[in-house]
Amino acid sequence: MTFAVDFENVSRHFDAVKAVDNVSLQIEEGEFFAMLGPSGSGKTTCLRLISGFDRPTSGHIKIFGETSDDLPPNRRAVNTVFQDYALFPHMNVRDNVAYGLMVKGEDKSTRLSKADEMLALVKLDAFGDRKPGQLSGGQRQRVALARALVNQPRVLLLDEPLGALDLKLREQMQEELKSLQKTLGITFVFVTHDQGEALSMADRVAVFNEGRIVQIGTPHEIYEAPRTRFVADFVGSSNVLPPELSARLGGSAKWSSLRPEAISITAPEHAKASGTVKSVRYLGSVNQITLQLDEHEISVSSPVGVALPVIGQTAGLVWKDAALHAMDDA
Amino acid sequence: MHSSQRAGLGLRLAAIAGLLFLHLPILLIFLYAFTTEDRSYQFPPPGLTLKWFGVTWGRADVWEALALSIKVASVSTLIAMVLGTLCAAAVSRARFFGREAISLLVILPIALPGIVTGISLRSAFNLADIPYSTLTIILGHATFCVVVVYNNAVARFRRLSGSMVEASMDLGANSFQTFRYIILPNIGTALMAGGMLAFALSFDEVIVTTFTAGQQATLPIWMLEELVRPRQRPVTNVVAMVVVLATFLPILGAYYLTRSGSDTAGSGK
Repeated sequence: MTFAVDFENVSRHFDAVKAVDNVSLQIEEGEFFAMLGPSGSGKTTCLRLISGFDRPTSGHIKIFGETSDDLPPNRRAVNTVFQDYALFPHMNVRDNVAYGLMVKGEDKSTRLSKADEMLALVKLDAFGDRKPGQLSGGQRQRVALARALVNQPRVLLLDEPLGALDLKLREQMQEELKSLQKTLGITFVFVTHDQGEALSMADRVAVFNEGRIVQIGTPHEIYEAPRTRFVADFVGSSNVLPPELSARLGGSAKWSSLRPEAISITAPEHAKASGTVKSVRYLGSVNQITLQLDEHEISVSSPVGVALPVIGQTAGLVWKDAALHAMDDA
Repeated sequence: MHSSQRAGLGLRLAAIAGLLFLHLPILLIFLYAFTTEDRSYQFPPPGLTLKWFGVTWGRADVWEALALSIKVASVSTLIAMVLGTLCAAAVSRARFFGREAISLLVILPIALPGIVTGISLRSAFNLADIPYSTLTIILGHATFCVVVVYNNAVARFRRLSGSMVEASMDLGANSFQTFRYIILPNIGTALMAGGMLAFALSFDEVIVTTFTAGQQATLPIWMLEELVRPRQRPVTNVVAMVVVLATFLPILGAYYLTRSGSDTAGSGK
């Protein structure tokens, strides 16, 4: 089977810095794939390796089965939505979108009508004559999207596509991107440091740390069954329990993850464990309660409306056995 | 409260005095272009006439010098625009060993006294056995014209968002198309401004020209020679007026071109 994007033991070293370190990764055709990680974890470098702006120090990248090592960016069947959008300020929106077709030599009427079609797809039909400087951040983002999609790429790369938008707009664009990808059926690869974004949009997520992939899986697998302490903590900030505590709480003697929302507060006599309440923070949709269990801190997300424990008193904790997840990582 | 809005009387007088000091001599030159007396510059002029404009028009040596000046300024500006742009592109885009040193070396000719540039060029031409000609004048002028174009271009290149060039490549454009459709429109006004300043600099250059010219006289050299001869002096003044206008207009143009430049490139974020 040919993959849309296939990394074979790819490394990219900048002198002593291993930005990408021996990464192997297969992205299937039509997949919405997220590369998730903190800044400096190598995810953006991976994206630049696919687009051709950077070349691997070792290893190979195949795009639809074709080795891309010697292909310059302008001859790859991929297009990019840049983090800062990189719209051309001296051209109006329609010419921006038509640019890719113009440099390929399409005649003027064809390329302008295709550009207008694409602008309609991103709901900007009325803005063709404006300059990018006259648009809001969200509109510029849509122009960047239309400008990439008009070239009918087989893979669309998105570099922190929603990073510059405010929360409300970001949520709206998440849904639109998702439905756009379904409609077009092409492969989307996007880079983000926002775990919420990755979980809500992607079919599969690769979690990056220090140039390596720590875990690849569906959002469900990543969240429910983190493979390492890093994943458990980075994706949804879990309670990471050391082996001895895990064993004492009825789990296996391994590093384990226990999600804050999987724990309920109860009276100490019915509880699996109990601890002293240290703090209670109101976060709107939930209350975040921190308890002290011997030398460990456990945080609990408790739905609003459930009776709150009093700070300084002892409270009991219960959870379903399956929620205490043992990890491979030492 | 008013003192913060309006300058004090003393300050205003000083400003006026400063401006007069700078510009009165130029006005005097203009005035003597109309004088009826042609041997010595006596003040006030005994009478005013327009006849020197006619006389100047009829003098072949003026036309020759003017033609040479325009030719030298145009060709050295052209060379400067090509070299200055390429150099600015390299320095602002790429990272390589000695980048800062090159940047300094390019700017150096304008910091060096013209007489040093002149002498060094003259000995270089001597060593290389290049006869003094229009070409050597052009080469001499190009050394400082490159600086002006480079300075303008490099500032604009820095503002040009780097991802714009990548976006162009990503959308399928080759290097030439990227330069033609993306880079050039964004640095165009800066290049024009640099070119105009370079032209103006070259047009009234004396020192480097003295060292690199053979028998030819550019307009400023011709004027220098003419001042020594007490005959038809106002012709020099007429030519001076032309030179002032010919260099003032491009500089004004350059000012307007770069003034609004901040919103042309790299502000697409």
